[in-house]
Amino acid sequence: MVRIMTSVNSVASLYPLVLLAMCWELVARSGLVPPIFLPAFSHVIAGLWEQFFSGDFTWPVLTSLYRAAIGFAIAMIVGVVVGFAMARWTVVNLLFEPLIAAGFPAPKIALLPIFILWFGIDNVSKILLVAFVCVFPFIVAAHGSAMMVSRAQIWAAEAMNTSHLALFWNVIFPASLPSLMSGIRVAIPHALVATFAAEMIAGGGGLGGELVYAQRFFETTKVFEILLIMLMLGYVMDVAFLRLRSHVLRWHDQNDVTE
Amino acid sequence: MTRGLKTVGYLASLGLAVAIWDGLIRCGLANADLLPGPGAVFKSLVEQATTAEFRADLWETLFRSVLGLVIGAAVAVPLGVVMALSPAARGFFEPLVKASYSLPKISLIPLLILWFGIGTTTNVIAVVLSTLLPVLVYTYHGVESVPKVLLWSANAMGTGPREMVWRVRIPAALPSILIGIRVGLGLSFVIAIAAEMIASNRGIGKLIFVYGESGAYAPMFAAVTAVVIAAATIDIAFLRMSDYVLRWSDSHAVKR
Repeated sequence: MVRIMTSVNSVASLYPLVLLAMCWELVARSGLVPPIFLPAFSHVIAGLWEQFFSGDFTWPVLTSLYRAAIGFAIAMIVGVVVGFAMARWTVVNLLFEPLIAAGFPAPKIALLPIFILWFGIDNVSKILLVAFVCVFPFIVAAHGSAMMVSRAQIWAAEAMNTSHLALFWNVIFPASLPSLMSGIRVAIPHALVATFAAEMIAGGGGLGGELVYAQRFFETTKVFEILLIMLMLGYVMDVAFLRLRSHVLRWHDQNDVTE
Repeated sequence: MTRGLKTVGYLASLGLAVAIWDGLIRCGLANADLLPGPGAVFKSLVEQATTAEFRADLWETLFRSVLGLVIGAAVAVPLGVVMALSPAARGFFEPLVKASYSLPKISLIPLLILWFGIGTTTNVIAVVLSTLLPVLVYTYHGVESVPKVLLWSANAMGTGPREMVWRVRIPAALPSILIGIRVGLGLSFVIAIAAEMIASNRGIGKLIFVYGESGAYAPMFAAVTAVVIAAATIDIAFLRMSDYVLRWSDSHAVKR
């Protein structure tokens, strides 16, 4: 009974969203704004439903996800290796820290034309831009979390004559996984933003490319449909990530405390 | 390490990176057509910096991003405070924030172009929309999680409800608010430049793109360098300002 009540309450708490949708629908239907600027909410949803079955958006969604995922994976590998190396060896830290301090606040999107020049206008330049954008949060998260691994654990492993590689893989990596996970959560939206931005600027399909085409041909309904898809993608990925995190970190005692 | 020594270390590391960049080209490992050497880029940067056009473009981009950030923060900070203080306001805005949080705000640029055309309005609104949520969330959490001890002691000293907000909650939340604004600062440049690259007639993003398309690579690298330097300078200036504003805060002093 209590459970039913709380779920009723949580549905009722979404009233502002319903209100927003109703206002949107009313303004669009009243004719105050021509549909070319604001199509009715119901039209957008109906269009989305249709597109879902006709599969028009399947390929753009997969293209964008492919670019984001590969770039993300490259950033994760490079970022974790560099971050751990910085935590382990002072020389590496001295070399990389200033570069990261200069690179972190830089608007990486400004480098897209350089990436296009080097790697062509197709997939590779976009993937590498995503990797370049995401690598900074990963380095910082990996460095910060490796620095926080307790000295005692490292000494214990060293006393047992553990090799460098085993030390990273069996001690530092698992011990820093909880805060690495927070870094991953920060990097996911960055990956999506970089992918969509690169596609909007350089074209070449994907959701960002489709969005700009729809805008150029004044297909406003399609613009809203794509925006809703992007919103849902971001949401689903965050929820999926939180699930994954609580699964991966089920051994960690702080797991229940952090959200 | 003292501050002076650290600066020397920083400059040495950046100098080393530039030397490697130069060495790659001199040894023929990198194609000078695709990667102009640091000398050529620096020369082009100096040449461009003296032209009024270049400065106007850079200024335009900085103006758009800072104006957008200021408007965004001017809306987000009061809203965050109100959300943290009033359960009704929180109940109303929280679902809206949560629902819009996962949309990459950069994707709204095409829609804004449809509504407002190409130009400063579209650009500034895009920056406002993308800086709004981070500042809002940091402000909300800052005001929400003020240590109970502070509230209790203020209460015990007979602090009224208004002073509680102005003299306890907001100052205590200031470190968090400033972090939110710094996050917004980083975003504001990205969005302003991306908007200029997608469709614009002015701004440094447009300039970089035009250079890239016309094959003027040394000026393109120079313009990108100018953007990186400008962004880093503003970020450092903001950090210094935060340090000064928060010089009384012990939690901030510990973190640094």
